[in-house]
Amino acid sequence: MTSRSLNSDSTTQGESMTRWPVTVASLRSMAGVAIPLILVAIILPGLLSAFWLRALTSSAIFALAAAGVALLYGRLGLVSLAQVALLGVGAWVALRLSHGTDLPFELVLLGGGIVTGLVGLIVGLPALRMRGLYLALITLMAAGGFQVIVGGTGFPDGGSGFLGRVTSASARLLMERPFVAQSDEAYFRYVLVVVAAGFLLVEIHRRTRPGRAWALIRKSEACALSAGVNVTLYQTWAFTLAGFLAGIAGGLLAGSVGQLDGRNFPASSSILLFALTVVGGVYSWLGPAITGLLYRAFPSLLIAWNIDGNLAFIVFGAALLHALITAPAGIAGQLGDVGRWLSSRIGRRGGTR
Amino acid sequence: MINIDNLAVEFGGVRPIHNLTVDLTDTIVGVVGPNGAGKTTLLNVFSGFVIPVSGSVKAFGQDLLAMPAHRRAQWGLRRTFQTEQVVEDLSVWDNVVVMLDTVRLSGRERREQVQAALNLAGLAGSEARFGQDLNAYERRRVEIARAIVGQPRIVLMDEPGAGLSQAESEELQAIIKAIPDHYNAMVVLIDHDVSLIAATCTSTAVLDFGSLITHGPTGEVLRDERVKAAYLGKGEVL
Repeated sequence: MTSRSLNSDSTTQGESMTRWPVTVASLRSMAGVAIPLILVAIILPGLLSAFWLRALTSSAIFALAAAGVALLYGRLGLVSLAQVALLGVGAWVALRLSHGTDLPFELVLLGGGIVTGLVGLIVGLPALRMRGLYLALITLMAAGGFQVIVGGTGFPDGGSGFLGRVTSASARLLMERPFVAQSDEAYFRYVLVVVAAGFLLVEIHRRTRPGRAWALIRKSEACALSAGVNVTLYQTWAFTLAGFLAGIAGGLLAGSVGQLDGRNFPASSSILLFALTVVGGVYSWLGPAITGLLYRAFPSLLIAWNIDGNLAFIVFGAALLHALITAPAGIAGQLGDVGRWLSSRIGRRGGTR
Repeated sequence: MINIDNLAVEFGGVRPIHNLTVDLTDTIVGVVGPNGAGKTTLLNVFSGFVIPVSGSVKAFGQDLLAMPAHRRAQWGLRRTFQTEQVVEDLSVWDNVVVMLDTVRLSGRERREQVQAALNLAGLAGSEARFGQDLNAYERRRVEIARAIVGQPRIVLMDEPGAGLSQAESEELQAIIKAIPDHYNAMVVLIDHDVSLIAATCTSTAVLDFGSLITHGPTGEVLRDERVKAAYLGKGEVL
């Protein structure tokens, strides 16, 4: 018989996160996020064409899904390649609930989020035993499994039965949007509010007990256990939360488009979303926001310039190389560095006057 | 009090601890021995990171081996690591308060307990600094604060004096000696620095090749010829 020992490998850390105590400065930084977001929500929709409104709505939705990827990778060092598939699960549940019940849109979203959170938990169970490449492969296989299933069955579109499919294309129904957000402009604002709430949920986790537990788990399992952290509980909680965010994003996407095509959720999309989350940055809310823009707005920009949207993949590849080699905190980290440099320059000038 | 009875650990064909039986009863106990003696493995058994093939470990009558690893910390078994485990992107405060996350306390009690631990560890005023901004000695003190905050029963310290200067080591001695008085907790100290052991530990156990050579008052143990032989060897110099 052989004694079993615990792996206590440690990983490198990201930028500064949790602060003590909650200060005026931290409240100011939150206001610094909220105020521009409110201004964007009020002003931007009136300035945009329908094409760009749809692109930015979609960007915001995928930013929420990317927040789940960033949470797992940035907080725990866990790679999940199933986030777009989980978004599809959320969309499927939301469509099914919307067509099959009279629930208000918010409860439909919540239902999709909860079910997807549970699916995320199941996908994440191997993480209790695995790390790195093997965990990534397992989550990718889960994404592949979803691709096969939803590719065959499609998304609910108003029919009866469990799958909720109609037989004739002309009878397909669109998902009802919330009564306060029927137009594209209003729905864009609605999405921004939900995405901001999702980011806030992650931020609250990051600054409180789960955030501390995740930080210790990432440092090393031995470090976490010696601090009384239930590693199993907090790892599964992270996967559940990431799944919940993807599920909410899926419901929002279904509400945005109205109908979804099962062929639009390939496993490769989950890989792309993960890569772009690394490019955007995984250590703050700004990273996933940039990821959403890269994932959906950047290809739209190329299309608007009459350039083949597939060129985006080449740019993404170069950006990923750049992030891996020179910017481990992603574009968000670099923007943060520029902001700190500018504020120090301005402060120095102010001081010499 | 820790009662170790017939403890054995095996990794493949290697036995880092071999039929170890000893009762550690003093408030500050040293565990010394040459490299590979099984000292850290013993601490890892206490912490639940290594599961022994046989034997028992009782701490104040509680069967430690029957508790899951994370519950041992909640019970009051605390430790520091040979390679310190301060989280770089958490503040000093968060690095310490994490120990109380599983304890039911009011906000005020929590603040008072964390502050008391930080004060004892000499970190008052450093609460908002981040792990990545601390020097090696400060990081070691954060680990000590984390190990003593709240209501520790046993504090395991794995080479806390490694790499410290003479002045820092003397400061560390004062911190270690203060732990039993402030927290009514037992300290088990592993270190190669015999002066640190001699200055802080009332009794010391000496391990070699996973077995106990001797255990008793520190002064006597450090003068023991078998201990000198374990450290320096018995062969004649030609």
